[in-house]
Amino acid sequence: MTDLLRLENLSVHFPIRGGLLDAILRRGRGVIRAVDGIDLSIRRGEVLALVGESGSGKTTTGRVVVKLTRQTGGRVLFDGEDVTGLWGVRALRTYRRRVQIIFQDPYETLNPKQTIRDFVAEPIDVNGIAASPADREQRVTRALESAGLRPAADFAGRYPHELSGGQRQRVVIAGALVMDPELVVADEPVSMLDVSIRTELLRLMLDLREERGLTYLFITHDLSLAWVLADRIAVMYLGKIMEIGPAEQVIRDPHNPYTKALVSVAPTTTPPSPGARPKRTILAGETPDAAHIPAGCRFNPRCPLVFDRCLVEEPPLFDVGGGQSAACWLVEGGRSLPMLPVTVGVPPAVIEDQEGQTSSLTTTSPGSNTLKSAHPIAAPTNGAVR
Amino acid sequence: MTAPVAPARARKLPKQADPAAPLLVVEGLKTYFSLESGVVHAVDGVSFRLDHGEALGIAGESGCGKTTTALSLIRLLPSNGRIEAGSIRLYGIDLVPKSAEALRRYRWREISIVFQGAMNALNPVHRLRDQIAEPIVERLGLDLREARKRASDLLELVGIPRKRGNAYPHELSGGMRQRAMIAMALACDPAIVIGDEPTTALDVMVQAQILELLERLRAQLGLSLILITHDLSVIAETCDRVLIMYAGMVAEEGPVREVFARPRHPYTQKLLAAFPNIQADRRTLDVIPGSPPDLRHPPPGCRFAPRCPFAMPVCTEVVPPEVTFADGVRVACHLYPEGSAGTPITVPPEPIGAGRS
Amino acid sequence: MAIEIALPRPVAAGRFTRLGGVFRALVRRPDGLIGLAILVVFTVLAIAPDLFVGPLQTAVTGREAGYPRLSPPTAGLPLGTDELRRDVVNLTVHGARVSMIIGLLATIITVLVGAVVGIVSGFAGGRVDGVLMRITDFFLVIPTFVLALILTPIMRDVLGSGSREILGIRMTLVVIVIVIGVTSWSSTARIIRSQTLSLKERAFVDRARVIGAGSGHIMRRHILPNVINLIVANTVLVFAGAVLTETTLSFVGLGDPAQPTWGQRLEAARSIGAPGLGAWWYFVPPGVCIVLVVFAFTLVGSALDDLLNPKRRQRR
Repeated sequence: MTDLLRLENLSVHFPIRGGLLDAILRRGRGVIRAVDGIDLSIRRGEVLALVGESGSGKTTTGRVVVKLTRQTGGRVLFDGEDVTGLWGVRALRTYRRRVQIIFQDPYETLNPKQTIRDFVAEPIDVNGIAASPADREQRVTRALESAGLRPAADFAGRYPHELSGGQRQRVVIAGALVMDPELVVADEPVSMLDVSIRTELLRLMLDLREERGLTYLFITHDLSLAWVLADRIAVMYLGKIMEIGPAEQVIRDPHNPYTKALVSVAPTTTPPSPGARPKRTILAGETPDAAHIPAGCRFNPRCPLVFDRCLVEEPPLFDVGGGQSAACWLVEGGRSLPMLPVTVGVPPAVIEDQEGQTSSLTTTSPGSNTLKSAHPIAAPTNGAVR
Repeated sequence: MTAPVAPARARKLPKQADPAAPLLVVEGLKTYFSLESGVVHAVDGVSFRLDHGEALGIAGESGCGKTTTALSLIRLLPSNGRIEAGSIRLYGIDLVPKSAEALRRYRWREISIVFQGAMNALNPVHRLRDQIAEPIVERLGLDLREARKRASDLLELVGIPRKRGNAYPHELSGGMRQRAMIAMALACDPAIVIGDEPTTALDVMVQAQILELLERLRAQLGLSLILITHDLSVIAETCDRVLIMYAGMVAEEGPVREVFARPRHPYTQKLLAAFPNIQADRRTLDVIPGSPPDLRHPPPGCRFAPRCPFAMPVCTEVVPPEVTFADGVRVACHLYPEGSAGTPITVPPEPIGAGRS
Repeated sequence: MAIEIALPRPVAAGRFTRLGGVFRALVRRPDGLIGLAILVVFTVLAIAPDLFVGPLQTAVTGREAGYPRLSPPTAGLPLGTDELRRDVVNLTVHGARVSMIIGLLATIITVLVGAVVGIVSGFAGGRVDGVLMRITDFFLVIPTFVLALILTPIMRDVLGSGSREILGIRMTLVVIVIVIGVTSWSSTARIIRSQTLSLKERAFVDRARVIGAGSGHIMRRHILPNVINLIVANTVLVFAGAVLTETTLSFVGLGDPAQPTWGQRLEAARSIGAPGLGAWWYFVPPGVCIVLVVFAFTLVGSALDDLLNPKRRQRR
């Protein structure tokens, strides 16, 4: 089996803790369904990007893979072996050598009281890997240098606050690689770094992948970044996978309205030309919280193509060809997604926040700068489409 | 449907204003910070101009001085910061020599700001509408009832339903809070609103909503915007002009369309290439080696020279002069001296990513 | 691969990694400086009182020296004498020693127990935390003094009083030390637990888990080093509290009359009616000393708390 990692119907539910009254009356206050039944497989050597906005469940999924968070249901298989029930420091010893994580915040991942050397050596110390102090030092040096911190001696004795953000993240990477893992979960590894530093760190990660045959689960909110780096992209929304497939296909030919909307608003550095503004589908409102997931397809309150079936039944992932699948009733049977509609001149409901999701859509049609779906107070200065 | 929000005052200009002068002209601004370890030349000679109704984006990475520039405009610098030199002319009135007391007249009434991470700057124990009414009462002298009404109007203007005005900040989502901060910045009907990283920390969909809101407000209220951000896509989307800053100085400045389509300065080119671009089908990212200089001891000559692929001997000796070309773009780079044709010289790419051929 | 130039970043408050740095910052502040100076003076006096005032005077040596009884200050006896003809200066200086020793020992017990309970409780969470916190709350809520009143006679019975010694310390003092320790550890535990709770959520603890570290390792290597600052600041204040508690216990007669602790001196003053007799030189010196020492501890403790507060982060 070439799947290094398989998640089968994985779900992670967090109970909401009530107060004393709730405890007395023995009533629950609901459940946060952070991950709500996903199937995911990652092939050895590939980069799979897990893309989603906040509340999508992508970080929780990553945490389950490195066993920081306990799953509520489903199975986790690593290299063919069922590791779902594997817990406890001793039992997980081997697993942890093979699966590691790069966290998002280089300022928080390093203990301010720990030297760089101790941080990188800690996996070795904890697992008794080093044969001698000299061996330990050698491994630390090798790890630091392969993360681009040369000469290692310049950095090993320092404390985190003496290093810049980019350097710290390299230390984090060194610390993740020192045990020679096979699968690395990268949770937004560059989002807290400066733009000009990001690319260097990403280049490092890609080079390491080639040198060591690493497999990455790359978690990010940035769809464009996923497109650049990943072989395959999985788009998550409110705990479910909406679409998954080869990166280029998912971006160029999305089969799920949410994916399509995300692609249309992906930030670009090409300024819109006055006459030919590309159509963007800006969804109204924000992602509802995971304690109040709508019935049926969870995207239905905001979906521009919603129809009656969406309100009652949740669609599974349908195969749409080329290794791509999407969860949407409109693509059942391998059909293509229709065009997202453009509303002209009709003001939708006022934008509501999470509790009051309205199925309204705002689009800017070509050739116009003003918001067609105007807000009641702002009467459109011109209603006609130029 | 309610009527559009009428300005609380029909944009009466300050007494000393010169009606013929451009809205904002900044010349040779220098702002320094005193640290124990030395003086940081955060902004070291920056000039630009903002016309009525225009949107200017100031772009650069952290430490380039863009936020300091914005804070200097309304003089909200920390205690160890000071404007060392230069002028800031609003309607022709130089704000730099004014006393702190005199400056209050301009702060929030002519220029207001939406801070970075503003959505967390709301007071958690006050209701939304009251927080927005506060500056209206203080600065415009309206009574509480009128101020509350105006606050509700503003909330609606930014896309928050009136009844949500009763809510406390923690009851609102991030996007709603950001809208509330924009409403607060509009409270006294300023001429210029500065947004410091207005969409960082927001989901991409919410970001699109906020940017669209800003565009609409510009059109409706005749607002002028200064957007400070490291995210060039925000500027591409919303701004007319862009100012690229590096290490406290201007690298390149001009109409967004020109600068982004035909960037001249090597840093601008590198910065643009560091963003993936789905629309342009560029499936790569470019690397900028090295890191920004320590502004306590800026390198001599051009500050980008240590990282520049085209660095020449003159670059490490002489600070490049700013030269303006026919297409309205101003560049500070020895590759583009005064009198030259100004044809952009393309930096050799160093791409990573799936699009590498 | 490009190497970044390492930018040395200034060490910000709240991130002291060397003790010397803390010390230097402390003396730079007026409150730290004054507090530390006072403590140094008293510590020196406590370590070698004989050097300054000779051996502890007794009723015998007083009579032999020919000192008058209960005399007000004179040129030769700047603080007068007590009813046993002992030089008050001598008694006060020697009192420093016992008071400080009791304070020190009691503080060690308090901080050890409090820190261990706080860290374990905060880190373990769940039922362990619940049980430990209920115990802590019990000790926290009972008024210190009442508990001390009850415990002291009990401990005396258990350990025996009189002149028995443990490690060179009289049993009565051991009793006081234990009583103070038992009544003070709970607030330390609460404080440490709070800090532990917030540390537990930090990313570097997650990282330690992910590489396979067990709870013991994480508590030792990650939690403890990050609460040590808090412990130090808290210790200083606990010390002050210990001195005060000993004073109170002695004053109500639960102390050891043979020891010249400041509290004991106040008790003696009360029992011979010194205030009524106008013999101010009897009780003012020990009282002033107590106030000074506690004040000094408080100054240093709050200065340390300020300096070492983990919330004072360097802005990025």
